[in-house]
Amino acid sequence: MTNQPAAVGTSARRHDAAAKVTGGALYTADVRLPGMLHAKVLRSPHAHARLRSVDATRARALAGVHAVLTRDELAGLSPTYGYFIKDQPVVAMDKVRYVGDVVAAVAAEDEATALRALELIDVVYEPLPDVPDVTAALAEDAPELFEEAPPGIVPPYGTGASGHLRPRRNVCYEFRYATGPADVWQECDHVFEDTFAFSRMNHFHLEPFVTVADVRGEQIEIWSSTQNPFPLRKELARVLRVGENRIRVHVPYVGGGFGAKHNCKTEPIAILLSRMAGRPVRYCLTTEEGFLTLSQHAAVLKVKTGVKADGTFVARESEVLLDAGAYSDGSPLVAEKAAYRMPGPYRWTHVKSSCACVMTTTTPAGPFRGFGATQSTWAGESQVDMIARRLGMDPYELRIKNLKRLGEPFVPGESGIDSDLAEGLDTVAGELGYHRRARTPNRGMGLAIGFKDGGGVNKPAQARVKVTANGAVYVNSGTVEIGQGASTTLCQVAAEVLGVPLEQVAYAPINTDVTPFDQGTNASSGMTVMGRAVLRAAEAVRAQVLEFAARQLGCEATALTLENWAVRRGDEAPTPLPGLIMKVFGGTGYEFSGEGFFKAPNSPEAPLDAPCVFWEIGWAGAEVEVDPDTGKVTVLQLVASGDVGKAINKLVCRGQDEGAAVMGLGQALFEEMRYDGSALLNGEALDYRVPMAEDLPERFVSVTQEQGHGPGPFGAKGAGEGAMVPVAAAIANAVHDATGVRVTALPLSPERVFNALHRR
Amino acid sequence: MSSRVSIDFEVDGVRRSEEIAPNTVLLDLLRDRHALTGVKASCERGVCGACTILVDGTPAASCGVFAFSVDGAAVETIDGQGREGGLGPVQRAFAECGGFQCGYCTPGMVMLTTALLRAHPEPDDERIRSWISSNVCRCTGYQMIVDSVRRAAELSREEQP
Repeated sequence: MTNQPAAVGTSARRHDAAAKVTGGALYTADVRLPGMLHAKVLRSPHAHARLRSVDATRARALAGVHAVLTRDELAGLSPTYGYFIKDQPVVAMDKVRYVGDVVAAVAAEDEATALRALELIDVVYEPLPDVPDVTAALAEDAPELFEEAPPGIVPPYGTGASGHLRPRRNVCYEFRYATGPADVWQECDHVFEDTFAFSRMNHFHLEPFVTVADVRGEQIEIWSSTQNPFPLRKELARVLRVGENRIRVHVPYVGGGFGAKHNCKTEPIAILLSRMAGRPVRYCLTTEEGFLTLSQHAAVLKVKTGVKADGTFVARESEVLLDAGAYSDGSPLVAEKAAYRMPGPYRWTHVKSSCACVMTTTTPAGPFRGFGATQSTWAGESQVDMIARRLGMDPYELRIKNLKRLGEPFVPGESGIDSDLAEGLDTVAGELGYHRRARTPNRGMGLAIGFKDGGGVNKPAQARVKVTANGAVYVNSGTVEIGQGASTTLCQVAAEVLGVPLEQVAYAPINTDVTPFDQGTNASSGMTVMGRAVLRAAEAVRAQVLEFAARQLGCEATALTLENWAVRRGDEAPTPLPGLIMKVFGGTGYEFSGEGFFKAPNSPEAPLDAPCVFWEIGWAGAEVEVDPDTGKVTVLQLVASGDVGKAINKLVCRGQDEGAAVMGLGQALFEEMRYDGSALLNGEALDYRVPMAEDLPERFVSVTQEQGHGPGPFGAKGAGEGAMVPVAAAIANAVHDATGVRVTALPLSPERVFNALHRR
Repeated sequence: MSSRVSIDFEVDGVRRSEEIAPNTVLLDLLRDRHALTGVKASCERGVCGACTILVDGTPAASCGVFAFSVDGAAVETIDGQGREGGLGPVQRAFAECGGFQCGYCTPGMVMLTTALLRAHPEPDDERIRSWISSNVCRCTGYQMIVDSVRRAAELSREEQP
């Protein structure tokens, strides 16, 4: 196609490199507007209480205070938000439902004044009994968090799948899926039932939740640290009862999200305060407030698996309870995935899964890297090893025996598996030295395969690619540069199609007034969904340019190739395009502009309404040493691998896998939001331990597989979540291999491992 | 807090004399008054290190430093790490090796690396891990930062006359 060195498949320097290594990159937290005020909020000290009165008279009178928002200022709004279920109020209305629930907000000249004003708000609470965990919430006499049903919807599902609002007390949503004959249990030689516990992490994105809002008359303009500006705009428009075109969302660089920065977080309060004050308002949370805003889902997972004597898998039934916290946020969507992914990468005759979102008086839980798959893989892949040992088989052999083949549909109506699963497992086992491991006391190795559908459910993406008369290219897309490298890789796709050097392609800033629609930066969808929209937009531009040049040169467009912003016919000398373009459009220039769109087609047979775009697989292997005197687990080796199909940028892919794997390492060994009842014990950076460089295993290897079966541009798949998902199970399996003891709860803290060792 | 104190210090080689409230935190002074937004604010508990600067060559979390305490000191921030017409050697190494993702920890990591290489121009991996363990990166998994620091050591040595 071109003599250019290929733009795709390189380790090209990222577009955001210079901005980020100089500190010049602008984040929402850095945005300053003239006359900007600062917001702070009053949070509930009670886990569950009725609000008797909220009186902000004294706060309003404080010098420097410009606006106070309480439940009395919500008239004219639709004051609750959420994904499927609109249950979270902008500020508390009738009740508070967790420690940290927002009761009132103040905008003042500076944060210190705002904080002083909060102390002057008089609130009378009537405390109610709390429900700190799923067991308490499901008890027959448990207090109801929501006495009345908040408005909610169940999305369309296909064959075998269903969703249920409020199926029982304190459950906001339940997803169920079943396929294959249930009578196969009779054919099983063994049936194993095990229960697993999964602890919850905090996202700990370094840039806090932050919004700067500027409301001028009818126009609402915000800068926000968000992963999904378009759904955010829609939800804000619904809450504020204004047209979506009255809300303009800018998204500067985002300092990490890992799923947390979706939909309404700091936005509604910043906007309402700005509207009341008539001044721009910055509302930036502290890290401590981040712990009170969103978390991963803790879970209890019951898994029943039936197998033949030779280890052939037959049936798997599972019941998952997610701790959704006080408001539903993305919980129903996570429940879909936690249940749906429970079969893992294996062949079954019968599958039946359910997942319930249980409301508790704790921090709301929502999207988190892995999105239910981390929970389901923890249980599923732990149990595979347990079954292997019960049958006297090697866990590797049991996996190989039951893995799906390349191209085999996940379940009826679904797309085929687009990785060779055994090849991936062999890659990791080989790198780890699994098959030639020596038997050393207290040392062991474990493997696991993380499994999730990738690319989002029914997710549309649109993109625009523009080229100036001089060949400068713009990629316009709603995919947020959140650290994953999409602002580089999407430009690489366009550069490859247009035959221009990568340096000539710019990634345009996001502004929802002009950026083409996108559903959000999530589900590892950047390359397989948005990448295809960008590919098509670039192809549309290329076609326009070639047709234009063909008309000028009096030939067929098919006779021309595009390289270095010139067209070439056969072996003739290339004709530079700038002159050709300006001859027709004038010396002031012109822009070619092409649009692209992608969405997986809907299908009634697909359980989740459209077949999965790609399958995101993460393979992990670990070698551990367990200290029998202390229970301390030392990870000697960690091998993590994803299959990206085709690496558009090798550095970017490596970074995604390694970052994900280390997040999995934290999950496995120590990261956990710890509660005493409904009180969070370690909700701040000092007490909440995230992995540091010193926590890296002595040997840490990532392998970027490029198996070439991906549906994205040039055979690409997605990345970013896969390598996190299997790590905890791989390490627990290694601990089992080392000690003969199974730990079924996370994290694998010394205390927990010690207790398990000494119960045997 | 009506009283003010005077401080006289250097920021990235430029001498500054100013009046501040005694409870002013250095991070806020740099970001809010001097618009040095490359110094990132994150945990504000001295844990994550996103706000790392050098005070007389020693790395410090500027969120935990009172501004009055740098009176007479030389403060270095990410803003002074460039070279004539482009990136400094540490910055080049992080750019080249992909030692960043979201970029929020990057200025702090660059400052930490600068101090490390002054103290230990040829650090081994263990020393690198030990030094960068004072800052949090939630994105990279650290290995590509370790690679960047190793590369920064090479580039810094090349830069020496």
